[in-house]
Amino acid sequence: MNCSKLFFALLGITFLSQSCSDDDDISPIRYTPLGKYDSGVLVLNQGGFGHDDASLSYISFDFTKLENDIFSLANEDVILGDTAQDVAFYGSLGYVILNGSNKIEVVNRYTMKRVGTIETGLSNPRYMTVYNGKGYVTNWGDAGNANDDYVAVINLATSSVTASIAVVEGPEKILEHNGKLYVAHLGGYGFGNKISVIKTADSSVSTITVGDVPNAMAVKDNFLWVSYGGKPFFAPVESSGGLVKINTTTDAVVRAYNYAGDTTHPANLVLDGNAAYYTIGSGIYKFALDAVTLPSTPVFTTTEQGDYGVYSFAIKQNHIYLGDAGNYEDPGKVYIYSLGTGIGQAPIGTLEQTYSVGVIPAGFYFNF
Amino acid sequence: MTAKKLFLFLGLLVCGAMFAQRDSIVALREVTVSDVSLRKFSASQSVAILNDSVIAKNAASLTALLSYNSLIYFKENGLGMVSSPAFRGTTAQQTAVIWNGLNINSQLNGQTDFNTVTTANYDHISVRAGGGSAIYGSSAIGGSVHLGNDLRFGNRFDNVLDLNYGSFSTLGIHYKLKASTKKVSLQMGISRNSSDNDYAFLDTRAKHNQNGQYYNTSFNVAFGYKLSDKHFLKAHSELFEGERHFSGTVASKSKNKYQDLNSRNLIEWDALMGKWTSKLKAAFLSERYKYFENAQSPLFELGQAETIIGKYDLGYVFDPKMSANLVLDYSRTKGFGKQIGENERSIGGASLLFKHQPLRWLGFEASVKKEITDNYQSPLLFALGTQLDLFKNYSVLLNVSRNFRIPTFNDLYWQKLGNAYLDPESSWQAELGQRLKWRNVSVSATLYHIHITNMIAWSPDENTGNWTPSNLAEVRSSGAEIALHYHFSYGRHHLDWNSSYAYTVSKDAVSHEQLDYVPVNKSNTNVAYAYRKFTAHYQYLFNGQVFTPSQKYPTVASYQVSNFGVSYHFGKVNVYRLGLLASNFLNENYQSTLQRPMPGRNYSIRITLNF
Repeated sequence: MNCSKLFFALLGITFLSQSCSDDDDISPIRYTPLGKYDSGVLVLNQGGFGHDDASLSYISFDFTKLENDIFSLANEDVILGDTAQDVAFYGSLGYVILNGSNKIEVVNRYTMKRVGTIETGLSNPRYMTVYNGKGYVTNWGDAGNANDDYVAVINLATSSVTASIAVVEGPEKILEHNGKLYVAHLGGYGFGNKISVIKTADSSVSTITVGDVPNAMAVKDNFLWVSYGGKPFFAPVESSGGLVKINTTTDAVVRAYNYAGDTTHPANLVLDGNAAYYTIGSGIYKFALDAVTLPSTPVFTTTEQGDYGVYSFAIKQNHIYLGDAGNYEDPGKVYIYSLGTGIGQAPIGTLEQTYSVGVIPAGFYFNF
Repeated sequence: MTAKKLFLFLGLLVCGAMFAQRDSIVALREVTVSDVSLRKFSASQSVAILNDSVIAKNAASLTALLSYNSLIYFKENGLGMVSSPAFRGTTAQQTAVIWNGLNINSQLNGQTDFNTVTTANYDHISVRAGGGSAIYGSSAIGGSVHLGNDLRFGNRFDNVLDLNYGSFSTLGIHYKLKASTKKVSLQMGISRNSSDNDYAFLDTRAKHNQNGQYYNTSFNVAFGYKLSDKHFLKAHSELFEGERHFSGTVASKSKNKYQDLNSRNLIEWDALMGKWTSKLKAAFLSERYKYFENAQSPLFELGQAETIIGKYDLGYVFDPKMSANLVLDYSRTKGFGKQIGENERSIGGASLLFKHQPLRWLGFEASVKKEITDNYQSPLLFALGTQLDLFKNYSVLLNVSRNFRIPTFNDLYWQKLGNAYLDPESSWQAELGQRLKWRNVSVSATLYHIHITNMIAWSPDENTGNWTPSNLAEVRSSGAEIALHYHFSYGRHHLDWNSSYAYTVSKDAVSHEQLDYVPVNKSNTNVAYAYRKFTAHYQYLFNGQVFTPSQKYPTVASYQVSNFGVSYHFGKVNVYRLGLLASNFLNENYQSTLQRPMPGRNYSIRITLNF
């Protein structure tokens, strides 16, 4: 081995360790792609209510490629459905939850070829997570009925709903940690203030009271972080939101961080490194997890990109992915900003990419 | 008897000519109607009158009748579901529906759902194209649709029982009684329509229309009493109750249902005093909907509005060629529901109508109206028109008007999102019409331009991103309408042909794009043939491509639908009729609204008994 080879080998190892330390989800050593839509982010576009025009877009991780409407391209003459809400992955499969159509379309996540549909056992399905061969889907039931909300349990081997676990009104985001499901009760047509904790072993349910309208959750080091929006302006009494930190061993609130006043509504909490990121209106906020008070000023805003604020939000590999629904009728926009944490990366909030995607970009799903 | 037969016979043949029947109501002296303004102050605009025999030949809903017999375009969310008009390129809230002279558009959402009006209840349905707010108030921007009952005096006692049954278990039962003496006139109708509405989709992606079943029942009574030769009492009352399951889209099943309960009541005292006529009216209108998100659940959402109206119309005839009316009206509406809370609105209005025929070939009409209310500033509404009968067979009509549409209770008071500071939509309109009549052919052609400002549109607020209505939109609509009528008789063969075509360019002033669900082209044709006791009729409808709000499916394709029916009359004294109808007999696969397929070929049988 000569010197130059050694040099490149060492360089490679350096990059490898650098990447892994930032994010251990993606290996920089690429294998043969599993399909056209491997190694990129799937953008879920909700579509217009009642239009049956939900869609998926694909943006490659190297930002060189955007492809819109990829489900239709792979499945000619099949309509994806109405008002897409969430996507979950299980092995090579993707589960697209279509709230307006009361169904889940099952696709090969790398090729987008449809492999099946789950229709029975769902009522106003919202979000899904996967654990131990089972899918768990939050359902509002009838939105006007506060007492028929549940989590549907899907046997992913048979794609059938095998059980339902009753929960309080308006179950929304759901995640799994240590065999327990954490369900944030945004509240449906009402305003929730609870996190349900479901033990998957026996389907027992307990609740943790947090602030009003919990809208996003993330876990780090056995702590569950929740952003709650407070009651919106159209509620009878408006209130400000904040963050809540929960110990997942005891399932007790460790600490609550509140915004003063009654018009500050945080949303879209994401954890990355030792910080929480969330949004208020068009501002992106960064909160060190060991800090005592919430920041009063954003690290950057999307004002230059548009007036409508943030509809969807994610962080991956030193990049911030942000979906802007615009006027909710025209194609939405995806903005990719620097997170400012990568080596040699531009400061946080530097706009790196702009894409025009489908109507109402509602979520980002990293496909690799 | 001959005269009666002839009347019936002619009635069957006439298919809503744009002007052939213009004066048919006027001719019948013993008839009294509650919407006199329609014939008196519409000479410079086109009014198509569809009489009861045309009504009887079409399907039960107002949507079906007017799709084939007028140039109004309808967006129907699947057969029998919510149906919204677009008249001359305007929105659903910009067509006024007038019941016996009263505006009955919903106070909650501003429009009439044309599938909640049962046509069999009326003696005639008229379509008045163009602005009419100075007479008919809010929403008469694109035009107005008039539902009318006549009261006839003179000894008679007639019953009509009409039964029809067809594909998808569609059932219609209608009974009407008309009884009168020289002093008293009574008309009563009861209708029931229902359907499983589970038609197969011609599309292969889904099997059939699900959760689209409906029924409705309506009761209608008109009563007239001659107090003396100069004083009349009149009363009209109507109740409509219906339940529809709202079918879903191709990819999305639905499970909801929707109930309507509407009542309309009017009493009127007319006095004729030499050159003066005085009409005092009082009315009570109510509307209520219940929306069940889950048809199986007892939970529902309610919206309700009640309106009382007082109206006084004083007319003076200067001479046979000149007349004027002063109309004062007051209305108070209370709206309530889960989403809109409880609110009240009072409106006072005064209008002056004037008509003059200085020369045999030259007529003028003018109307002006001002409304006063706490909620908003109302523009001065007016219409000016002239009719020039330049030659024996050729007339030119000119009309200019200013019209408006007031904000609805939903726009104003929807919880936290409504905008209590909305102004009315305002519209300027000019039109030029021509009529040519030559032997048994008549042609009319109209050009119009409508400029609508302050249009109320719901959109995300620039600062908060919350959906809220504002007076931001602006639309310009220009178009042409052509109608052709041809009549031919040879011995006992009678042929009647009506064709009409509308060209509509209605564009948002900012985007310069054609409005969603407004076709550039629409056309329809009715051909009726009769020989002795046999009649056959053919209907054709073409709706051009429309744009949708969806980005992924930006258009709904154009479609052509043809219906064909035959009927035969039995009986010597009384007329019994047996009819067969094949609808969409060419099996066109079409959608009126995106992802909501309409039925293919379907059949119905109809029996009408006059006794």
